[in-house]
Amino acid sequence: MTAEVQKYTLEQIEALEVAPGFEHEKLEGWVPSLASDEEVRDALEKAFDYRGDVTITTKSGDKIEAYVFNRQTGATLQDSFITYFAPNVNGKLKMSYAEIARLEFSGKDRAAGKHWEDWVKAYNERKAAGEKDIALHPDKLE
Amino acid sequence: MAVPISQMWTVASYVLKKRFSGQKRYPLVLMLEPLFRCNLACAGCGKVQYPPHVLKRMLSPEECFAAVEEAGAPMVSIPGGEPLLHPQIVEIVNGLIARKKYIYLCTNALELKRRIHEFTPSKYLTFSVHLDGQRDHHDFSVCREGGWDLAVDGIKEAVKRGFRVTTNATFFDGTDPNSVRAFFDEVMDMGVEGVVLSPGYSYEKAPDQKHFMGRARVRRLFRAILSNRKPNWKFNMSPLFLEFLMGDRKYECTPWGSPAYNIFGWQRPCYLLQDGYADSFKELMETTKWEEYGVASGNPKCANCMVSCGYEPTAVIEGFGSLKGFWGMVRGTFSKYKDPHAQKLLAEWKTEPHAPLVQIETTNRSLEETNA
Repeated sequence: MTAEVQKYTLEQIEALEVAPGFEHEKLEGWVPSLASDEEVRDALEKAFDYRGDVTITTKSGDKIEAYVFNRQTGATLQDSFITYFAPNVNGKLKMSYAEIARLEFSGKDRAAGKHWEDWVKAYNERKAAGEKDIALHPDKLE
Repeated sequence: MAVPISQMWTVASYVLKKRFSGQKRYPLVLMLEPLFRCNLACAGCGKVQYPPHVLKRMLSPEECFAAVEEAGAPMVSIPGGEPLLHPQIVEIVNGLIARKKYIYLCTNALELKRRIHEFTPSKYLTFSVHLDGQRDHHDFSVCREGGWDLAVDGIKEAVKRGFRVTTNATFFDGTDPNSVRAFFDEVMDMGVEGVVLSPGYSYEKAPDQKHFMGRARVRRLFRAILSNRKPNWKFNMSPLFLEFLMGDRKYECTPWGSPAYNIFGWQRPCYLLQDGYADSFKELMETTKWEEYGVASGNPKCANCMVSCGYEPTAVIEGFGSLKGFWGMVRGTFSKYKDPHAQKLLAEWKTEPHAPLVQIETTNRSLEETNA
């Protein structure tokens, strides 16, 4: 949520010409401190927003690679949990916040570096150089 | 309006039935995303930004049918990702036709011409082809030169084979309304049933987009585009929604009108906003804090949204749910929306060499006055 929008009234929003966007946090490689319950909650909220895998080390010492796509927060860490997909595992998996000892934003942030401005710049440069069939292509899945 | 009578009747009777049964919240269109993988890599698209192991996952036909039956909506839109990359998409489509659901298969059509022979024409099936304007605008928008030509080949082949086809465009800041109007002429000449359009949205997951078109600017753009209509233009949308875009109506979002189901589950609260997932449709409807969404809620994430998936259900429910709304819909269907001010707006519109998806500039003029 951006403070700039929050200060507007409904009438101002209706009259808005250019609306603020969202800042993209650089989280790739980040290892958050999980010293307090609040830090655990904040870190997992960011993991939910993150467009890459994270590596979770559980309190029992297991290391799990996970794409966190849901979180449900309860009154305590025990009754708060994440839901995630792990590579090479078919179904959805679930883990309580209380089981998590360490979190690392280890996977590539799939939302980073795909700036529209970069495409515009690259397109104009390639066009000026006489290039044909200019395109961005999806990453290979294998 | 280009929607066939049978579809209108199905939707109208569904809305009336829900209204008479006292049901307050019900879906009109299920947004069924069977996969996120795509054969385009549009800059700024938030839908495809997942690790490979997630992009490889797909809903099975059985999961799709279960979701459709659970939601009970009369219409099913199948976006993605690119649905034609799903190896069982034909089975999914045929299963939904057998269930008498009106399907909008949303495709970028790069694969349409090659795969069209696998499908059978039906009044229940419409190919909703993503075309963001004229050739250059579309190719630039999807970051692929030649994309427009492939899509148009697919459209022409589908029309020739007797399929229902619409085009589906999202317009962002920088859009040239004169070009959009020329685009309407072009697609009507291709023989499509109608045009579907929507303003873009300030999608939180889109990377590093600084500023978006505010509501006033959306209204001004769509007033320029949609006023003084040509007689041959057809829209596969509620006329009331188009009036909302032009600034003639004030609507609130109906976020449960287009619920989304995908590989993660039932998306809260809507197709565009991702605030978590529910395991069942019942759970989605009963446990989502709906009052926290929509412009009136004050939720900044919803502040600028005027997108069809939230506001067209409002228009459709009004259109089929009250005599006043129905009359507005009938009148809108036949109106050309004569407007000299909009004509002047069009004539004086400053065009840009290419229409960037976002407005990148300072926010000093963010609350400037508008004539819209």
